[in-house]
Order: sequence, then structure tokens, then C-alpha cells
Amino acid sequence: MQNSADIRDAHVASADRRALLRLDGITKEFPGVMALSDVHFDLFAGEVHAVCGENGAGKSTLMKIISGVYQPTAGSIVYKGQESRFASPLESEAAGIAIIHQELNLVPHLSVAENIYLAREPRRGFLIDRKKLRADAKRCLDRLGIDIDPDTHVRNLSVAQSQMVEIAKALSLDAEVLIMDEPTSSLTEQETKLLFQVIRDLKASGVGIVYISHRLDEMEEIVDRVTVLRDGRYIATDNLRDTTVNDVVAKMVGRSLEEKFPERISKPSDDIVFSAAGLTRQGVFSDVSFSLRRGEILGFSGLMGAGRTEVARAIFGADPLDTGTITMHGETLTISSPRDAIAAGIAYLSEDRKAQGLAIKMPVDANVTLANMDEVSNTFGLIDFAKHNKVANDYVELLDIRTPSIKQPVRLLSGGNQQKIIIGKWLFRKPKVMFFDEPTRGIDVGAKFAIYKIMDELAAEGIGVVLISSELPEILGMTDRVAVFHGGRITGVLETRNTDQEEIMRYASGYGPKAH
Amino acid sequence: MADISEQRSVRLSDRQKDIIQKFAALGSLFVLVAVFSVTSSAFFTVNNGMTIALQVTSIALLGIGATCVIITGGIDLSVGSVLALSGVVAALAVRDWGIPVPFAMLIGILTGSLCGWINGLLVTKMKLPPFIATLGMMLIARGVALQITGARAVSGLGESFGVLGNGSLFRVVTIGDDGFPNVSFPGIPYPVILMVVIAIAVSLMLNRSVLGRHIYAVGSNSDAARLSGVNVSRVVSFTYVLSGTLAGLTGCVLMSRLVTAQPNEGVMYELDAIASAVIGGTSLIGGVGTISGTAIGAFVIGILRNGLNMNGVSAFTQQIIIGLVILGTVWIDQLRNRR
Repeated sequence: MQNSADIRDAHVASADRRALLRLDGITKEFPGVMALSDVHFDLFAGEVHAVCGENGAGKSTLMKIISGVYQPTAGSIVYKGQESRFASPLESEAAGIAIIHQELNLVPHLSVAENIYLAREPRRGFLIDRKKLRADAKRCLDRLGIDIDPDTHVRNLSVAQSQMVEIAKALSLDAEVLIMDEPTSSLTEQETKLLFQVIRDLKASGVGIVYISHRLDEMEEIVDRVTVLRDGRYIATDNLRDTTVNDVVAKMVGRSLEEKFPERISKPSDDIVFSAAGLTRQGVFSDVSFSLRRGEILGFSGLMGAGRTEVARAIFGADPLDTGTITMHGETLTISSPRDAIAAGIAYLSEDRKAQGLAIKMPVDANVTLANMDEVSNTFGLIDFAKHNKVANDYVELLDIRTPSIKQPVRLLSGGNQQKIIIGKWLFRKPKVMFFDEPTRGIDVGAKFAIYKIMDELAAEGIGVVLISSELPEILGMTDRVAVFHGGRITGVLETRNTDQEEIMRYASGYGPKAH
Repeated sequence: MADISEQRSVRLSDRQKDIIQKFAALGSLFVLVAVFSVTSSAFFTVNNGMTIALQVTSIALLGIGATCVIITGGIDLSVGSVLALSGVVAALAVRDWGIPVPFAMLIGILTGSLCGWINGLLVTKMKLPPFIATLGMMLIARGVALQITGARAVSGLGESFGVLGNGSLFRVVTIGDDGFPNVSFPGIPYPVILMVVIAIAVSLMLNRSVLGRHIYAVGSNSDAARLSGVNVSRVVSFTYVLSGTLAGLTGCVLMSRLVTAQPNEGVMYELDAIASAVIGGTSLIGGVGTISGTAIGAFVIGILRNGLNMNGVSAFTQQIIIGLVILGTVWIDQLRNRR
């Protein structure tokens, strides 16, 4: 951090123009995790300021501090020249800071107009003034140049349209700061263009926009400045015209790939451990075939909704499969539930740790043994606690899980430790094939490295490992081959060492191989 | 260093909160006993103790079933009606079919199990919300009980029908000098023994068996449980069958005490059962709850009723007080879980 003085100088210089919003020295500590430390950020009226960083870099924590969901442990927030602390999202909203979440927050069963003015309906006496409600909503939508009938129910809208309604809602609040969290992640190219047009109009009318996105390629079109965060620390703020996307990426990653990933000890051999042929689930994915070799880590890459997770879940029996065969060690498997899959030796580390992976109120030991209670109980179904506790302690030690005791409820542990507990649960099952679905999402760098190491060791032991990941560096750093998904199909299986991000992205967007 | 000590102090206060909650119910139980002992001389006696224990059995037995159901994230509103149906089935089996009492009662209990099994099917296979499924069963079971008895009490069951509800173990009776029998120890009523045995058995099941572990796992996160290979439907169904079976048993005990089967017996008992579980710290969201807590909850309700009765408090005021106790204990629980 020897350049932190320079950074601060640059910061002061940019403050000549008075910032609409200015955060200084923001620090946020959670039990056991430093989410943000000494972060700076400022935003001018009429600019689009992107916040970039890898998963877990602290972007969403920073946004939650701006919008009042979290209170910073230290640091100051100056909004419109006044020192401010927002105790809740309601307060920040009243002050003119609106946030559009990745998961949209609209009520599906109400109309567009009702959603825009939810809890602030224009009234005539006790009744809602429907005429005015409709007219006001129409004006909001018109201002954005979008053609949506205010009487339509939100459940009938596309994701893009819903997003427009969210923006209209934010504008109806006279928002001066608009935070957009991954606004294009589920939009088509056409819809993205429309969104960008709206953003440009907003800019022209003096709204300050905080823009969070993983899609760096899009940023050049609309972003003015970019702030990079890494591991909860402030790295730099640059004018985008003075820098390049590659430069931003370098700052985001901050270290070379070699340091981020362990030296692989596993080597792929020729015998096939597991294969899938012609897997189809109507309307979700079709004709997916791949094979997994002994000692190999196979990557599943692709954009959100391309079918990677869906295929893994279907193989695991969590979702139904219409047709296709699954073969393990030459034996065809019939799987109709996760129980069947687990019995056959398949493990699936789900992408949503809290919703699908952990019994969050239960202690560490109960979570580690959950998938294999038969091993730690007698024939009468009574738990053998000596064995049970030993298993829990063994995995806590083996995976270096940081917990005060095996009786600690898992909700009190950090994301990385929670993930290791789920890995422990599956290792105790002694699986033959294991799917890791976004195993490092939202966990800190040290734990990431440990999880990569575990995957490598499993592969070295002859367990088939599939890594499903949205992060290309992870795919490139850890896998031997990568199957790229697009629109529910595998568009290509690439040798990792002969490919690069660009080629994978091309397959992921459905363009196929480069013309020679 | 400052950080570490701060963290530790936070954790300690968390643990303190935990202890406060655990002993809040038990503590209030002791306070109740102390207060009633002072206000009424007849309260703290062996006789009254046994009376209370006997009165508490029905709430406790139903509460044990309710606890298991609620831990999985469900609810069972049907137990009050199911106990009436089970009781009248047992009674009709004795009176009309001439089946010996023990077998008749077994049929009654199995009737309860059947109702619970249907509840389980409605919830797991037909995917009805537990509230609705058991609400339907509540109406159906009550209706059937009234139908098959013509809404009349079933009496003339013979003395043996009353043994389960009125008999007791270790009853000591001495014949006094005046020739009249003198009860020196009233004995432990059979229902109380049943309650204790079942409470211990279910508590062991929850804490020490794989099934119990799965019950908590389903309530904590049913998706995670399913993806870990837990047979969620079977686990959930089991809790409804258990609840129905215990309702059946409670029905037989209650009807046996009266030696008459009333199709109108047990109205609103489901709410007492749920209240005892909730007072004992069971979370309606699922994943949390203990039998010991529910037992305490059942005794809090039972002792309140008994003590207030002895002090001549009207039934209406009793309801108000019990309502306040439920609100108070759950509020303490909320305080504890607020983070």
C-alpha cells in the first residue's frame, strides 16, 4: 500500500468539483470477516461510475452501506455536502438514493402503476385516486421512452421490462443517485441497448449512477469512471478513457494466476470415470453429452441460465430428466432422486450455499454427517456419538474449518468455512464423482485457494471432479478441459491449456469456433 | 487485541441470552409454584401435584406430537378432533362390537395414526399447506365422530374401560382405626406414567436417532436435507403419524377417565398443544424445539389453570392470563433471535 498517499491525492484533486456522494475510509467488519477496509468512493451528478471487483471484493457490501442496509464500522459518508448516516434503506430512499437490485423487488400481482407508487399511492380521501395513479405512472414511463401499459400486471412483463419499471419507480422518487446492481445480467443484447439509452438520458438529466457489473466489455459504452475493489480494499479510481479494460482486470485480479491457484498434482488419465449422453430436459437443456476422465477436472462454463447448473442438478436427481443416459465406471445408472444419486456415489455442492447446502440452524457436526448418518449410527438407527463427533472433528481438522467447536451453529461461521463444511459433508460420503457448483462464490481468497487444493487432491485420488463456474480465471486456472454451455447445449469442449477467455466467451455466446 | 476481546464479549452475551431463554420458562414455572403455594395452602400437596400431572397429560401428549410436527416446519390443527374420534371409536368397539378393552383402545389409537397418515399424505404428496390439510382433517374427524355417535355420548362401557384413565401405580391405602380406608399416597396415575415414558422416548428419538436428526434437518432447510439424501416426505409424514397416534392415545385416556366417550371432547386442545410447544421454545418457522421445553410449557399452562382455579379466578380471566403468558414467552424468544 505504498501508493495509498497518491490515491488519496488523486481523490482530493477530483473533489474540486463538489461530489454528489462521497465516501471516505469506509470500513465494515462482520464477525470473523473484514468485508471492507478503508474504502473510498465518490460520485458526481451526471456521471456513470462503475464499481468493479471479483466476487467477494466487497462491491455489494459497499452498496448496502450507501443504501443504509448496513452501518459502516468506520468512515464517513457525505451526501450533497452533508455528513449522512442512513439507518435503513427507507431513509436513503427518502434522501434520493435508489437501488435496483439484481433480484427485482416488484410485486408480481400488482399492476405496473401500482408497483411504481407502492405505499405512496395518490389518494382522494380514503381511496386511491386511480386516474392520477395511472397518469403519473404513464408520465414516468414516458420520460424513459418505454412503451409499457401501466395497467399490465408485473408478472406478465419480461425481465427487461420489469427492470425498466424499477427504474421508473426510482425516478418517481426523484432519485439523484441510482445504484444498478448487475442490470444487464439477464437482458438480451437488444434490451441492453435500450437500457443504455435510458442510462444516457438519466445522465443528461443529472442523475449520478453507480453501476456494478461483471460484464466489463459493456462498460466502455456508458461508464465514465471506474473504481476497483479487491478483497475488501480500495485499489484505484480511473477515468475509463485513460485506462483499458485489461488494465481494470489486472487491478481486479491483482496477482498472477499462478499465485491464485495451486500447482496441480492430479493428471488426467485415459479411463472414463463418468459419462453422460444425450441428456435432455424439455425447455431447459437438450442433448448434453460429456465424459469425465480419471484424475481430470472438467469445467462447465457459460453465461447465467445457459444450463450448467440445471444439467448438474438433473444428474444429481434434484430435477427430473426427460431422456439421456448416465454411466459411471461403465455401469448405467437410474437416478430419480438425490438419494439415488448419492447412493451411486455422486455428490453435488450446490451453488446456493444457504438455500440448498446447509441446515443453517444446526451445528457443524450435524451438517458434516447429514448425508451419511448410516455410517455413524447402529442398526436401530441410534446415533453413535463417539463416532459421530470423531468424524466431525476429523473433517474440521482436515479441511481447516475455523470454528470454536463442532457444536457451533453453522450460521455463525464465515462463508468460506460454511463451504468447507458442505465439502466435508460430501467427502464423508466418499463420492466417486463430485460436482462443485460455484464453489468459491462470495468467499475470501484464502478459503478459495484451500478449496482449489481440495478439488485437485480429490482428482488426484481418482474422483471425477466437475467445476461449474462463471469466473473464467477459475476455469482456466483449475480445469483440464472445459465444456462451454450456451442456450442449454454444449457448444464446445475445449482443452484448457489451448484456449483463452476470448475463445470460451465466443462459445458461451453461441458464436462457435474462430474462423481460421 | 481490542477486536478479539470485543468479539468475546459479544459471544458471551449471546450465550447469556441463550441461557436466559432456556431458563425463562423453567424459572417462570418455579415462580408460579411459589406464588400459588403462598396464596393457597392446598396447592403444594402431593394430592394436588398428582392432580396437576394428570391434567397436564393430555396437553403434554398432544404437545409432544405438535413439537415434532412444528420442528419440521409444519402444524397440526387436527389433534383435538382426532382425539375425540379415536375415543369414540374405542368406546363403540367395546359397546357395539364387544371387543375387549385393550384391543378396542388399540383400534382407537390406530384410528389416530390413520388420521395422521392421511395428514402426512395431504402435506407431502398433494403438497397442501399443513395449516389447510390439518384444518380439513380437524373438521372431518370431528364430523365423523359426531356422525357415528349420533352426537350422543357413548356410555355403559363397564369398569374396565376406566382403568387406563383412573388407575394408578403405588397407591398406598391403609385401613384406619375407624375402619375407613385411609389414602396415605394417592399413587402415580397411569396417564402420568404414560406421559413420562413417551416424553423420554420421543426426546431420545429426537436427540439420539438418525430419524430425529433428519427431523431437525428438514425443518432447518428442507432443500438442503433433500439434496443431502434425506427422504423428506417420509420424515414429514412420520411426524404427522406420531402426532395423530398421540392424539389417539390422548383420546383413549380422556374417555377412559370419564368412562364415557364424548364426541365433543377436545375442542381447541390443538391450540393448547401448540401453545405448550411454543412456550417451551419451539420455533414455528421450524428447525428448533425440544421435548423438555414442551413439557415445561405444558406444566406452565396446567399449573396456571390449576392455581388460578384454586384462587377462585374466573375461567375468563384465566384465558386472558394464559394468552398473556404465550405472548410474553414468544416475545422473549424473538428478543433472543434478533441479531
